[in-house]
Amino acid sequence: MPAPWIFLIVLALAAAGYLAGRLRALAVVGGDIRRLHSLPGYYGWQAAMLAALPALLVMGLWLLIQPVVVESRVEGMIPEAAQGASLSLVMTDVRRVAEGLDLAVSTGVMSAAEATGLSADGTIRATLGKLGVALGSGVTPEVLAAAKALRTAEATGRGAMAAVVLVLALAGVAYALWRIRAEYRARNVVEAGVRGLLLLASTIAILTTAGIVLSMLFETRHFFAQYPWWKFFFGATWSPNFRGGSDLGILPLLWGTLYISFIALVVSVPIGLFAAVYMSEYAGRKFRMVAKPAIEILAGIPTIVYGLFALITVGPLLRDYFAQPLGLGASGSSVMTAGLVMGVMLIPFVSSLSDDIINAVPQSLRDGSLGLGATRSETIRQVVLPAALPGIVGAVLLAASRAIGETMIVVLGAGAAAKLDLNPFEAMTTVTVKIVSQLTGDTDFAAPETLVAFALGLTLFVLTLGLNVLALWIVRRYREQYE
Amino acid sequence: MNDMRLEERIVQNDKIKIDAQDVQVFYGDNHAIKDVSVAIEDKTVTAFIGPSGCGKSTFLRCLNRMNDTVAGCRVEGRITLDGEDIYDKRVDPVQLRARVGMVFQKPNPFPKSIYDNVAYGPKIHGLVRGKAEMDEVVESALKRAALWKEVKDRLQAPGTGLSGGQQQRLCIARAIATAPEVLLMDEPASALDPIATAQIEELIDELRTRFAVVIVTHSMQQAARVSQKTAFFHLGNLVEYGETGQIFTTPRDPRTESYITGRIG
Amino acid sequence: MTDVIAERPAKPSLLTLDARTRRRNAAEARFRAYGLAAVMAGIVALVVLLASVLGNGLGAFTQTRVTLQVELPAAKLDKSGTRDIEVMKKATTLTYGPLITAALSAAIKDRGIVVEGLSKKDLSGFLSKESAAQLRDRVLADPRLVGAAVTQSFLVNGRIDGYEKGRVTMQSAEKDSNVSPAQLHLADALETAGILHTGFNRDFVTAPDASDQRPEAAGLGVAILGSAYMMLIVLILSLPIGVATAIYLEEFAPQNRWTDLIEVNISNLAAVPSIVFGILGLAIFINFAGLPQSAPIVGGLVLTLMTLPTIIIATRAALKAVPPSIRDAALGIGASKIQAIFHHVLPLAMPGIMTGAIIGLAQALGETAPLLLIGMVAFVRDYPGAPPEGFFDPSSALPVQVFNWTQRADPAFVERASGAIIVLLVFLVIMNTAAILIRRRFERRW
Repeated sequence: MPAPWIFLIVLALAAAGYLAGRLRALAVVGGDIRRLHSLPGYYGWQAAMLAALPALLVMGLWLLIQPVVVESRVEGMIPEAAQGASLSLVMTDVRRVAEGLDLAVSTGVMSAAEATGLSADGTIRATLGKLGVALGSGVTPEVLAAAKALRTAEATGRGAMAAVVLVLALAGVAYALWRIRAEYRARNVVEAGVRGLLLLASTIAILTTAGIVLSMLFETRHFFAQYPWWKFFFGATWSPNFRGGSDLGILPLLWGTLYISFIALVVSVPIGLFAAVYMSEYAGRKFRMVAKPAIEILAGIPTIVYGLFALITVGPLLRDYFAQPLGLGASGSSVMTAGLVMGVMLIPFVSSLSDDIINAVPQSLRDGSLGLGATRSETIRQVVLPAALPGIVGAVLLAASRAIGETMIVVLGAGAAAKLDLNPFEAMTTVTVKIVSQLTGDTDFAAPETLVAFALGLTLFVLTLGLNVLALWIVRRYREQYE
Repeated sequence: MNDMRLEERIVQNDKIKIDAQDVQVFYGDNHAIKDVSVAIEDKTVTAFIGPSGCGKSTFLRCLNRMNDTVAGCRVEGRITLDGEDIYDKRVDPVQLRARVGMVFQKPNPFPKSIYDNVAYGPKIHGLVRGKAEMDEVVESALKRAALWKEVKDRLQAPGTGLSGGQQQRLCIARAIATAPEVLLMDEPASALDPIATAQIEELIDELRTRFAVVIVTHSMQQAARVSQKTAFFHLGNLVEYGETGQIFTTPRDPRTESYITGRIG
Repeated sequence: MTDVIAERPAKPSLLTLDARTRRRNAAEARFRAYGLAAVMAGIVALVVLLASVLGNGLGAFTQTRVTLQVELPAAKLDKSGTRDIEVMKKATTLTYGPLITAALSAAIKDRGIVVEGLSKKDLSGFLSKESAAQLRDRVLADPRLVGAAVTQSFLVNGRIDGYEKGRVTMQSAEKDSNVSPAQLHLADALETAGILHTGFNRDFVTAPDASDQRPEAAGLGVAILGSAYMMLIVLILSLPIGVATAIYLEEFAPQNRWTDLIEVNISNLAAVPSIVFGILGLAIFINFAGLPQSAPIVGGLVLTLMTLPTIIIATRAALKAVPPSIRDAALGIGASKIQAIFHHVLPLAMPGIMTGAIIGLAQALGETAPLLLIGMVAFVRDYPGAPPEGFFDPSSALPVQVFNWTQRADPAFVERASGAIIVLLVFLVIMNTAAILIRRRFERRW
């Protein structure tokens, strides 16, 4: 029975439990709901919750754990000779054969009995090929046996899961109904359950972070098992080669990332800051009503749009009017292209953060300065901005973290060549670009050229996390100062 | 006791510093100040009293055009400083405020060092040449604000680290460092404890030897203690203006009497 | 006491500006001008950006077609004569192509058009490579057409289409090996004859993607459907989870380390680079849990995790904005805390929550980088099935389709990519307008 069906049946049982619980509660008191501790609906809800929650929890865990258990048992069947580095390749074959057989049975090409009684006679590849399941090599008896075992184990597992889950759901309903008495505190039980669910939901944020860190740590460890860490962190060449012998030094990528981010900040920080100052200290109401949303639109535009803008407009423009006349290069994608466009993207980010921060400076400080006969700009430059400085530093750090993690603009605007160069009109590449290029297309998750992407991702994560934590800490301290 | 102190104060100079004629203030449609005429004398402490919301602070802020910074605020009538209309088109409020300084209700030292707080005004107005002269200005302003002894060893410490009373005296030092002719004080002691308040009041009495001081206060006792002239505001009107002693002992208007005896306000 | 303070030069008149004040006012004006210039720079950047996208992309919404009458000889298309679909499927596009070319040259002859230097290759290359497939699909859908003549409008080659839209000129055609000036002259002649016309291109929004060689046929159908599926998943998952988390944190969470940990996590997740979520999706959902690549379910899950912080933060703000007096009133008449929240606070916070959810969805809709990593860049021509099975079918997504098209050689794909962005922006404008309207309509001031 497929999982979605089990899910729906459990939900149906829960609904039935709700109705039954409600009716039973009413029956217990002979229809006089004043004698019940809680409203009748709560008795229904507790039955529904007892039916659905344990059953769905078990089902979720089962779905997560079963593949791991089954695979490890099937892996044991692969002969020693085929193990080692190629184990994962063999297992891919096994999985593909098993999937092919499933498909063959479900489309009616084979009967279920035929599929289990199949022998490795070379026709399998052709049969499965017709169904669109391409197999790299012929099917060896071991692979076929393993595939069959995989299918049996999976079928058994699924059957057992359906039985366990449905029994749990039924037992839950039965237990809930049995417990119903007039003085039974159904509302308190339901509310405790709801609180539990709320708590469960809030742990997803932690699970996500844990998932990010663990998945990247796990694969990064694999990477460093095959490639020395000091060559990764201190290597100055990046030239992956899928036939082996790659140089995977992060320095040129970090250089490109930081160079582009620097240009982006040089563009966005002054413009964003001055725009925020103008909006909050000078602009009239009407001007603000038009200009503020206009700047905010820039923030709502997806980065792929900025990327395309860099690729088809800014890149060629810079190449034709700056780089080529100055003899600095002939590439449309360059550090300057990506940096400028990213700067534009960050303008609203910097300006809205600065706006909040400038508005947090108490009006009394402005009054104090104006009352001494300072002009508005003197007040802003000598009182407001110095008072807001920590907050602004925090905002710049957040913007820097954004710039470092930005992907689409650099994928489309910066280029793919890993270089340590100073010329801003030269194409360079970044950490994010290389993550994309190493993980898209055909990838082999055993090769260091693929696994390096996880090490890059982890570096990126640590870098941005550090900046964010620092920035949030600075901003929070700044806000507390004026509260 | 109050009476005795009032006796001591002889008005030394009756030259009129600021003259306001028929001043009206509007906030949008709200008519906040109605027909106020008052003449503020030099080297005198003038107190504005009245129940909260009576317009005394609003009127005070008209005297150095701080109301300009409030959107939708409109001032009509004529206010002159030494005979020159301060709302004249040719007047730059920046120049006006250098001559009419202001101290606010809540101490608002800038987040800079004590020294820089005091030096701020002279620096922006270009009143001094060189560091040595600035040091002198800062020292004498702090001395005149009776703060010098407490802070002379930590001039580079942040002004926000001082106690509330010290902060307010720092703000007064900051205001007098620009050598204003008039000092406006908007309830300068309302956020302070009694001891700090007493220090500020003493200081105000000192200051009147050089400046015209205008102080807004919600405390009648304070007005009686520090001022020579008192103006009583009620619902945007100037009800009564005269010698402090006369206002507190023989008010002419029944509203003033009600307020002073505590029946309204 | 030295009295430096009183040493002010003779009292100046208020009515004249001294030199220093004039200088300071000039500095003031300059400062103000910088601010205005900064705002203007932002606005100009926005205008240039939009103009560039619109200028490049509007062309994608029109397409040039030639209307031809094509003979469908039974001898070639259905050798068995039984109109059996299986037999007819044996006739490939290679059989249909020449039929269309013949129809084109017949049309040229009928109208007496003479174009100098028009080679046979020019003629067969005039129409899109997709046109043969179009005709074949039509015939297979309705076998009775065989043996008669049908009138159909066919897509022209992307370069000819570019000529009609002004992207290709005679000069550029001379240097281009993919198009000859003779073909452009032919296009002019056919237009005068009234069988070539440029009109609205509905297929751009409904048709699936097309291969590298036929930009004129490429459409956004699969991508729009894929994005819609993902948004559905994001909405179904992130709204309840996000709201539940926000309620827990705002109303129930005790002040302890665990709560702090959750809060720190949420604020950091909001700032983690999107590509990191892609790595998470690849490692956990595809490699570990074994979900299929390129599937909306994986994209939806990844985008859900990215959208959660937005929804949580918006919901918490909305809950905070409900005054405590409402809670006190409910608790005061004996409601339990959960009843107070679900009956009174949550309904009042709903507009804020909806606004936050829509804004979160709009962000998710435009997100590209994580989808690249979970295989959504694959070339997909088949529409995904109906949900829920369709959630597991390979699909594309709007922003990824844009990226895909930017990676192709033919310059006609630039127009397609910009056109796709216009579609994307239209969706975003609709969503953000909805959010603003909800906020305006239900905004309450306490």
